[in-house]
Amino acid sequence: MKNIGTKLAAVAFLVCVASPAYAGKGGSAAKIRDAIRSNSVDAITAEIERAESLTCSECVQMVTNLLEDDRYAVREVAAWWFAKRPALKDMVAETFLDDLASGGTIKVRNAADFLGRTVTYTALPALRAAIHRDNVGPEGKLALVRAVSYMGHLGGNEVLTTAMADGDAGVRAAAATAWRDILGQTSAAPVVPLLADGDANVRAAAATTVGGMGHVAAAAQLETMVVSDPDPVVRRNAAWALGKLQQPSSRVALAAVAADQSGLVRMTARASLASIR
Amino acid sequence: MKTYMKTIAIATSLLTAAGAGCGSEETSGPLGNVDSLVVLQRPKRNDMGDIFQYTSYKPKTESGVNARLVKLEPPTADGKQTVICCDQAGPEFANIDISGYDISFDAKQIVFSGKLAANQNYGLFILTLADGSVDQIPTDPARDYVSPIFLPGDKIMFTTNSVVEAGARQHRDEYERGTTLQLGRINTDGTGEELGARNLSHRTFPTLMSDGRVMFTQWDHLGGMNAGHLMFVNQDMTNLREGFGKEGTGASNSTLKAQEISPGRFVAIATSRNRTIQAGALIDVRLGVTETDGDSVLARERQSEANATYKDLTPDVPHDMTPSADTVGRYYDAFALNAKDKPDLVVSWANGPVESSVLGSAGLEANFGVYLLDTARNQRHPILDHEEMWDVFPRPLMPRPVPDISGSAVDPTLNGATQIGSMNVYNSSLKSFAPGSIYGVRVMEGFSSEEGFPEMFGTTMFEGQANLGVARVQADGSWLANIPANVPIHVQAVDTFGMNMFSEPVWVSGRKNESRVCGGCHEPRDKATVIDPGQTDAFAVGATQMYGLTPRDQRMSLDTSRDKVMGVAWSTTIQKIFDDNCLGCHDSRNLAGMQPYTITDPMTGTSIQWTFNLEGTPLPAAFAEIGGEPAFTASYLSIAGPDMEAIEEGGLMLSSCSAANCTKLNYAMPEDSRGSLLIKTLNPTRQFPTQTGERAFNTTPHMAAKGQATDLTGDEFYQLILNIDMGVNFYARENNPRLSVY
Repeated sequence: MKNIGTKLAAVAFLVCVASPAYAGKGGSAAKIRDAIRSNSVDAITAEIERAESLTCSECVQMVTNLLEDDRYAVREVAAWWFAKRPALKDMVAETFLDDLASGGTIKVRNAADFLGRTVTYTALPALRAAIHRDNVGPEGKLALVRAVSYMGHLGGNEVLTTAMADGDAGVRAAAATAWRDILGQTSAAPVVPLLADGDANVRAAAATTVGGMGHVAAAAQLETMVVSDPDPVVRRNAAWALGKLQQPSSRVALAAVAADQSGLVRMTARASLASIR
Repeated sequence: MKTYMKTIAIATSLLTAAGAGCGSEETSGPLGNVDSLVVLQRPKRNDMGDIFQYTSYKPKTESGVNARLVKLEPPTADGKQTVICCDQAGPEFANIDISGYDISFDAKQIVFSGKLAANQNYGLFILTLADGSVDQIPTDPARDYVSPIFLPGDKIMFTTNSVVEAGARQHRDEYERGTTLQLGRINTDGTGEELGARNLSHRTFPTLMSDGRVMFTQWDHLGGMNAGHLMFVNQDMTNLREGFGKEGTGASNSTLKAQEISPGRFVAIATSRNRTIQAGALIDVRLGVTETDGDSVLARERQSEANATYKDLTPDVPHDMTPSADTVGRYYDAFALNAKDKPDLVVSWANGPVESSVLGSAGLEANFGVYLLDTARNQRHPILDHEEMWDVFPRPLMPRPVPDISGSAVDPTLNGATQIGSMNVYNSSLKSFAPGSIYGVRVMEGFSSEEGFPEMFGTTMFEGQANLGVARVQADGSWLANIPANVPIHVQAVDTFGMNMFSEPVWVSGRKNESRVCGGCHEPRDKATVIDPGQTDAFAVGATQMYGLTPRDQRMSLDTSRDKVMGVAWSTTIQKIFDDNCLGCHDSRNLAGMQPYTITDPMTGTSIQWTFNLEGTPLPAAFAEIGGEPAFTASYLSIAGPDMEAIEEGGLMLSSCSAANCTKLNYAMPEDSRGSLLIKTLNPTRQFPTQTGERAFNTTPHMAAKGQATDLTGDEFYQLILNIDMGVNFYARENNPRLSVY
């Protein structure tokens, strides 16, 4: 359990002043407690949402505990609740920054999810540093990628490029996907090497990003992939990407897979072929 | 394989009784002319999310049964079940979960939404029933595509979180935070994907009407509005119109999964937004005046929200999130088998509480099965219930009429912009305007936190907004503006002082080259608008240009003069006004001698005080919670006031004195600059058509009353007015924290 007790003392007045804790929208500490006991993600989410503006000391500790729940959806809604209470959010963020620097994988995961979901831009330097840590496992690094993806800030690019070279394929794939969702991202060049990754999920994710961002320089590589990659999801994504790139040179490759043995590929190839004028 | 029928014997007898009994002219029951039903079977689950969530993925039951489409032939409890998808489709489909489907008009194909693996997204697939082949429709692999329906002309409509606007992120719902779904369509051969104009929140569960229009559920949030309503749109995603649920016609907070019973008449789910597994009561919505045609009841004439009524088909089922009682349960969806006054429905229903918390506490999951519901007798007759699966969306596998293609003419001369306007803005069912009182119509663009803002734009719960401009209302009441396509906007009628007279309470948007000219300002929908001599003055004058072709990231302005101002950032634009004009009396020294108000917790007796202060300094810690973001300032708290939901929900007491020098709780009312104390006190000068010294109120302006030699400029007055009429936000694009380097 994250202990922010000492820091909460700074806002002791605040939580005391709101102690009645029965909401106009029907939220209450008791209902949050019941939802947590039910262990239902939907119920927890609904009651935390309903307590959007509810402040009470009991709620703070309960929701704080949820920041370390095993389920992302629960951590996410708990972080949102804090995002609606910026003063408290800043206090919790401080403790999570420490976890980014020195915590284990799960602590890094929880910290990154909180800082990302609360759009704590000032945490970007710490997120950039954390992705370079050798002693953080894939679950933590996936959360680092998720955090910068949610923020959508170009200051998170270093996290993504570092993650693209990670030893875990899931981390590489997530980074390749997230690259496209950063606001103001102009080039897919850092993703192109992943088209030759040894993992099919990474290749598939890279193909989507390269196509979605219109990175024409990757057309030849995608043409090779669409006809020769053994994984149908990769061939499908490569076919889709070629449709986005609109290169006449891609016609031959797309025609070759218009009758692909996989139902994932055929129509995509034909539609992409039809779209190239 | 497990047995799927729990109640075969009783089901058979009940189905017979339901169909042939009581002297009905039908000899084989409501399903008598249906050879087979298609049913979607999904592994049971508890956590679906609220009614707009679409990412739930659970491909297999604990015993290893896959999500699948089955055919039940005949559609009786002892009918033969055949898995029609996707065991035969190849190893790529081994872990598919299916969320929804539709049967083609000729009943030869099925389009469905499926997710192949946890690390993929929901995509669209077409199943050809003759040979069992499955082909994926090409969509963006990194985005979700769900709720597909067939459209005439070999097209498929869907909802998706793919974004129509290049370089932009999809809107995130301000409250439940989901990446929103919007409408789109694609040809059945995979070509020609089009994405519709966006709402700020979700759109879901489209369904095709016999008149060719598409009905769907839209989440509406603008200020205090928070509800799911039924809307209409043409098949080309133009001409968005209200359907049901607004103007006090709704049966519940949310209305969803509508299916046409007969023209103008629909069966739909009425429920809470969350905690009910996307299930609820069944209502019979009648949009127009009811008429009878043989056994059928229709409501096609004079369809409008004002004429809309509904009948509760399942009166015992809660319309909110209350756990439903044993034998009452909740309905996941319904499909009408006839159009009788009390129709027969094939439904998906689950017994018990069907409420997330109760189910979670008991370690249970709702068990939806397929039933024939006789609404006249309020009897349910079981047809199919797999104990490990949800049996949902039962549909007759049979050809159906193809509606006409519905669409709107587009105007290519708009070059990609959208044109909006009214023929006569004084024609309104919601507000009466004095003739000549409206100077123009202000258009404002909306956006959410997806552009990189913190969770709250201010303490008033309004979304981010940017002013696109004011279109002058012409002598005949008409106005016209060219705005960016695909962008949610809302409009306000404004007076010559630039102050809001009436705010349209919804976000609307239009497609590229779409011309959306209404009869009035929310005019009566069941009456024709008569235009004489056939063309409006606004058409003759030409549309006001409002950044119609300007990219999103350029729709901001550091020039805050009246005709250039877009976002009104508190920390820069508004604070500068205070710094330049007000701090002599209203800084922390409080030379004006203002008295504080007090917020007290009646339970503990603790209290805090706030005194009017227009400095741009951060809030004290004790006010950070009810005052909003740490970045929010003393001036913002003084003018916008504390988060009133926090005050209300905290059960706190506010007390102030009544003298003129007492600090009031707030000085700005969102969307009501004319009623805001700040504006009334300052008494602003006229803005339109030109800025003059004429005052808005017959009172002494504050600055003059206090002996100040100068007053605010016309531009400064307008900045204050605009900020208030756009929701009294602290953040605008112009002070978006994302624009900084970290």
